[in-house]
Amino acid sequence: MTSVQTIIGRLFGSFQLNLQLFFLTLLFSLPLGLLIAFGAMSRFKPLALLTKGFVWVIRGTPLLLQVLIIFFAPGLLDWGAPWGSGMSARFTAATVAFVINYSCYFSEIFRGGIQGVPHGQMEAGQVLGMTKGQIFRRVTLLQVIKRILPAMSNEVITLVKDTSLARIISIKEILMMAQEYTGQGLIWPLFSTGIFFLVFIGILTIVFGRLEKRLDYFRV
Amino acid sequence: MPLLVVEGIEKRFDHLEVLKNINFSLDQGKALAIIGASGSGKTTLLRCLNFLEYPDSGRIWVDGELLLDAGQQKRLSEADVRFRRLNFGLVFQSFHLFPQYTVLRNVTLAVELLNRGKEQTKNSAIVADARALLNQMGLSDKENAYPHQLSGGQQQRVAIARALALKPKILCFDEPTSALDPELTGEVLRVVRSLADKHTTMLIVTHEMAFARDVADHVIFMDQGIIVEEGPPDQVFGQPKEERTRQFLSRYAQGG
Ligand SMILES: Nc1ncnc2c1ncn2[C@@H]1O[C@H](COP(=O)(O)OP(=O)(O)OP(=O)(O)O)[C@@H](O)[C@H]1O
Ligand SMILES: [Mg+2]
Repeated sequence: MTSVQTIIGRLFGSFQLNLQLFFLTLLFSLPLGLLIAFGAMSRFKPLALLTKGFVWVIRGTPLLLQVLIIFFAPGLLDWGAPWGSGMSARFTAATVAFVINYSCYFSEIFRGGIQGVPHGQMEAGQVLGMTKGQIFRRVTLLQVIKRILPAMSNEVITLVKDTSLARIISIKEILMMAQEYTGQGLIWPLFSTGIFFLVFIGILTIVFGRLEKRLDYFRV
Repeated sequence: MPLLVVEGIEKRFDHLEVLKNINFSLDQGKALAIIGASGSGKTTLLRCLNFLEYPDSGRIWVDGELLLDAGQQKRLSEADVRFRRLNFGLVFQSFHLFPQYTVLRNVTLAVELLNRGKEQTKNSAIVADARALLNQMGLSDKENAYPHQLSGGQQQRVAIARALALKPKILCFDEPTSALDPELTGEVLRVVRSLADKHTTMLIVTHEMAFARDVADHVIFMDQGIIVEEGPPDQVFGQPKEERTRQFLSRYAQGG
């Protein structure tokens, strides 16, 4: 019988994988999402259509399926081993799938936020002699951030929970770890994973709440 | 020589001809009122002068300088447009103040950005100028307020200060009181009146006929993209020559 401390220690260890996947996904999908948003808003129609089509496909299919395809496709289609080998290959593949998936979701949030800023704000900046860059940085950006914070908060919290889907390609994240103990007749490790999620999501909720409060001083 | 000369401005949106051969001029220190029914092209004309729309053809001179020769010269670059449009200021119907900045910052922001790297004017001087303008608008006690904390009339007065801060040669107003409750229009019209008294060169699109008659030195009546009639206010409002002007004015007199 494994001791309680050991089990909790292992759960902690495996939750690191969830956290790593979470932070890496955020790190890459936020800028990529902005890029996709600009692509979808491009005045060059083919680019806009292509981008929107891509976003539609990614948002319209399960993340689980995307993880599976990205992990298995290169091997089965003889594309070499782009993800490397062993456990790190699994983790890389999962990260790539998550980044693609979440950049598409973020791009839609960004696009809505940017398009939601009244056109008059841009025009006011223009007639005051501002450059496009100045208008984006000085006028639009903060309004966009304020507009998208609630939606971003939701999406980021969903991402925390989604990291457990990585187990589909045998990444030993926290749920998979806890489930192993059901074989020893233990249910409490499974319950306790909930606490990990609750605590981390609790922290994120506070952070987002603070950010929203910070931008409370003006209305859009 | 007039400060502003507009010659042969044409503007089409797809197949809709919105401005057809618009010609007029405006002398330094004078106020020009533009009246006309909804859809007659008044806003589009102001937007052309402020380079928010690019006319299909026509020329714009300010102070003897040819700012735009649309349809002739090749399309102006972004940077060219940016400097040329500074000859004009524009006050929008719905203010468009920047919500995340205080009243004072709304007025100083663009001036500071233009002054960047040039350092001709100290920031303290820019702030002092802005305060003087806010004082002139009767908003001295509001410099630290945010736009949402102000009434529409106050917001519009901030917008006027913001436009004046760049010292445009010609200040354009697009129905500055149309978005305001009736009890708030007075305070904005008084400010515009005071600018006229100080001989600010202005182009005012308005549906406030009494105000136009009172404040303008010259009135243009537009209908369906053309200037139907123009002249001194007493003539255009008192003895309009054109049937269309008479019809338009009588509809207004009846409160339509
Ligand atoms: N960007 C645009 N695309 C297509 N049509 C436009 C555009 N802007 C204006 N129009 C059309 O041009 C015509 C003139 O519009 P404009 O806004 O200049 O009129 P207006 O005289 O300012 O009217 P109002 O008194 O209602 O403000 C209208 O028929 C309008 O629908
Ligand atoms: Mg209009």
